Amino acid sequence: MNRPVYIKAASSISPQHSYEAGMLLQPVVSSDNGRLYVVEQDYRKYISPVAIRRMSRLLKMSITAGMQCLSDAGVSPDAIITGTGRGSVSDMEHFLRDMIAMKEEALNPTYFIQSTYNSVNGWLALQTKCTCYNQTFVHRSLSFELALLDAQLTLGEGEDMQNVLVGGFDEMTDYYHLVKDKIGYWKKEALNSLDLLKHNDSGGTIGGEGASFFVLSNDSRDATSILLALEILHKPTVTQLQNAIAKLLESNGLEPCDIDLLLSGINGDVALQDSFDAASNMFDSSTAIAAFKHLCGDYDTASAFGLWLANYILSNQSIPEITLLKQGAGRPVKKLLMVNHTISGDASLMLLGNC
Amino acid sequence: MEDFKVTLKQQIIDSLNLQGMRPEEIDDNAPLFGEGLGLDSIDSLELMVLLERNYGIKIEDAREGRKVLQSVQSMADYIEQNRKL
Repeated sequence: MNRPVYIKAASSISPQHSYEAGMLLQPVVSSDNGRLYVVEQDYRKYISPVAIRRMSRLLKMSITAGMQCLSDAGVSPDAIITGTGRGSVSDMEHFLRDMIAMKEEALNPTYFIQSTYNSVNGWLALQTKCTCYNQTFVHRSLSFELALLDAQLTLGEGEDMQNVLVGGFDEMTDYYHLVKDKIGYWKKEALNSLDLLKHNDSGGTIGGEGASFFVLSNDSRDATSILLALEILHKPTVTQLQNAIAKLLESNGLEPCDIDLLLSGINGDVALQDSFDAASNMFDSSTAIAAFKHLCGDYDTASAFGLWLANYILSNQSIPEITLLKQGAGRPVKKLLMVNHTISGDASLMLLGNC
Repeated sequence: MEDFKVTLKQQIIDSLNLQGMRPEEIDDNAPLFGEGLGLDSIDSLELMVLLERNYGIKIEDAREGRKVLQSVQSMADYIEQNRKL
């Protein structure tokens, strides 16, 4: 969908040092055990001691990232829209285990209440006293993209809608990792997460988690970047992916050579390599290519971390060395195309520009 | 009774995840809700679960529940008289 919206602020709690100010992604965090967990923050900044004692990691990191984002933008949201593939998995695991252990009697209410997918949105609404439109999308690996799409549509509704808080969040637990391992989600071989993309001749990837939030706005003042277009593709073939990229560029008056940086959601899985090659082969040597899933791991809403990184690159005009797969011409990044590939086979395209 | 109240206070701390709080910081007669510990309605449900799981006590009547959950002292008294475990 081609409806430009401005990114006024972005905040991400991820396995990298993305939340704290300072040098981008420094020091780089890696893992040798096939999964990446977020760098925990001081969550008491935005959450009261009474409330925080009941919250899972996912709730704490999502609310903190969301509130920080609003604080950075200096606005109150006219809507809160998020996406999550799994919601609060740890709370769900708790109450399901309790149901078995207690034979479905005397169950703790807290885990059940907070395991619902929209509990993050509920908390954000309480914190901001925002009683306006509030929506959580749960559509596996396209959850964040659908939240973004809804935000674009919501911002197009009229004068009343000026600033929308949009986020994507998911958490990793031991049990979730174990279950996904049984169906071949993860790499079998031992590897360091930073080498993930070199292991692209075998199946699987590494797990990750994170919470990334954005204030999208119709107002261009103080914007850090602009989201020009978003396209969601259901299990595209290689040809369909290439056609979709070509069409997206054409509808925005661009040629492949106008793209300064291709940001790829490649995850090291051999099954996605053709898709990545097809996308990257559309661009000549002047377009730089970068990737992000070796930094955040793969999870349903990893594209939210990708968007945070894209926004950071555009607003700071600096591509972190650790993300680069191909140098390109080294020109300023004015137009950036993010192509996210997912294990489910779905894909998304996000076209961004600098401000 | 004094030892039991310390045990009960620790169970309340664990059950409600009152991070950083110690049993000796909870006054026997201070209200659990509102002022005192400042607990809320979800906490009252958690305390009901605590009574059922640890002492086999099931409180069906909300008015009775309010009386029982007034303070640590009222909880301890009620448990002593009604415990099944």
